[in-house]
Amino acid sequence: MYQFINTIFIGITSGAIYSLMAIALVLVWRSTRVVNFAQAGMALLSTYIGYEFIQRFHSFWLALFLAMVAGAGIGALVDSIFMRTLFRRVAHGPIAGVAPIIATLGLLGLIRASLGLAVGNSDVSIRPPVSNVGYTISGHTLAFSPLKLVIVSAAVFLMIALSILFSKTNIGLSLRASAFSPEIARLAGVRVDRVRTLGWAIAGAAGAAAGMLQTPSGTGALSPDSLDFSLLLVFGFIAAVIGGLESLIGAVLGGVLLGLVLAFVLTYMSGSLVFITAFVLLIIVLLVRPQGIIGMNRGRRA
Amino acid sequence: MHKLKSTNLTRFLFFVLLGVALFFLGNRVDELRVYQGATLSMYVIAIASIILLTGYSGQVSLGHGALMAIGGYAAAITREHLGWPIWICFAVAVLVAALAGSVLGTAAARLSGPYLAGTTLALAVGLPSIANQFSILGGEQGLLFDVGAPPASMGADFTQYKWYFWIAALTALIVMWWLQNILRSRYGRTWRAVRGNEVAAELAGIHVGKSKTLAFTVSSGVAGLAGAVLAMTISTVSPSAFPLSLSFSLLTGAVLAGVSTLSGVIIGALTLVATPEIADAISRRLGSSENVTTNLPGLLVSALLIIVVLLVPNGPLEQLRSARARKAREATHQ
Repeated sequence: MYQFINTIFIGITSGAIYSLMAIALVLVWRSTRVVNFAQAGMALLSTYIGYEFIQRFHSFWLALFLAMVAGAGIGALVDSIFMRTLFRRVAHGPIAGVAPIIATLGLLGLIRASLGLAVGNSDVSIRPPVSNVGYTISGHTLAFSPLKLVIVSAAVFLMIALSILFSKTNIGLSLRASAFSPEIARLAGVRVDRVRTLGWAIAGAAGAAAGMLQTPSGTGALSPDSLDFSLLLVFGFIAAVIGGLESLIGAVLGGVLLGLVLAFVLTYMSGSLVFITAFVLLIIVLLVRPQGIIGMNRGRRA
Repeated sequence: MHKLKSTNLTRFLFFVLLGVALFFLGNRVDELRVYQGATLSMYVIAIASIILLTGYSGQVSLGHGALMAIGGYAAAITREHLGWPIWICFAVAVLVAALAGSVLGTAAARLSGPYLAGTTLALAVGLPSIANQFSILGGEQGLLFDVGAPPASMGADFTQYKWYFWIAALTALIVMWWLQNILRSRYGRTWRAVRGNEVAAELAGIHVGKSKTLAFTVSSGVAGLAGAVLAMTISTVSPSAFPLSLSFSLLTGAVLAGVSTLSGVIIGALTLVATPEIADAISRRLGSSENVTTNLPGLLVSALLIIVVLLVPNGPLEQLRSARARKAREATHQ
């Protein structure tokens, strides 16, 4: 029984982190129709910046905030300098459809290699800001610690904040408008380029949060060639696809669902099956329900 | 310039001549270059598989490293457990990878760009973990892949590397010749039609899904062959031989080659072979710190990928050709 409850806790916590990454991918997809494979690199860079701030100020919370600001800055820079140039130069031709994919992938490699060049490939470690020892209830230790509580609340808070931003504010309206139809939004006076950059910036912040929260909740080790960040990207992508790649709530639900499924596989089957399960889940969703579990726009082909 | 009419025969003769030239070249250069020649041939095959998929069929795969791994493992297992001749091992590699590709391709045919890219990326990230799951795959250490010493009839000074080079180069030539032919056939035209406009292709009676799946299957088979050749040159297969960066490098090579034409493939392959050497030279000048030596090759490859996509998205060759065509058009207008 306790094992079952603990598995649910583990699933929800890791799911919350996948959700943050999925939110980042969804935001960029909605604003520019690009799946940003560089998101893992941007998150990694932001986490390193966060690590530097921890060394300087000895406060995880301040560092988390500053890392998110840095992540937003990186996102905005990547969009306004890199992606805009790309879209201007590669609008036509046989490669136009795949150029953004290739370019963001190149960026991922570039960020990783430059980071490795700058700080070396040895691990640094980020210690958890609050205890990662599980709560105890009547003699049983739960797999749910203050740190995990923080992670889950951070994800929930971000999701609520973003939902309000998208549905209740003018900025949100213009974000949705430019995603829906850039041409018409432009005619209606929305500065589409700026709004897109804003989407990238929010995504950068969400990705930074994912990186900063994932690192201490795992082993605490951080390195430029970290497999954890590749997996974060892949699981975030799978979570986003489960949610339909369009909706923020879908991204969160997808993240939690994926986290739970993987946690149950990990506990009751085998650790080395985790990845295959995620991959099979992705394929099944794509084949059976490509519009995602939320599935608003049925007409779209995957 | 009058264009030489390209027929099946002239193309075949071209590849035979190329083979003869390579044969003499292989006898004249030193061991390191011979070994690099084998690696070059491997890259030619691998990049060709990506060009076929991306340039001709309009699908993008970030996971061809994983398909190469499937081919490499298939060849190694056949060799180790059944002891079959090397050619049959290569054929098994092609078949197994093509089978995996057809499964993936069936899903892929229904996916557009970013979904397919993400799915194949997931495969490339996750496939190595499978090696630890089954004992037949040998875990982290992987498996040995020994193609055997060159036949004694080749002479005493015929080295192992030269033997690798011969096998790899011959394989690459056969693959390129075959791909040239298939791309000029009905299938090649179908793929290009689908890439150009799916709806139009469908109206013209082409089964879009089948056509895409076939392209993915063929491309996977070729990638699997490249994986077997790679496994031969390093005599092992292990998860670390097929890292995520391999898939990225191949994509860089394909973009450099110009994804829409098979003829540039050698440019991409040469660049990928030269990059570690250049990186090595630079890092030695910078004092060979560990940071530099491990990260510089990756940095160069990614930077190159970005520069090419931004500046010459259709590849340097295609860019030159279109510039020349424009100039010619201007000249006739005057």
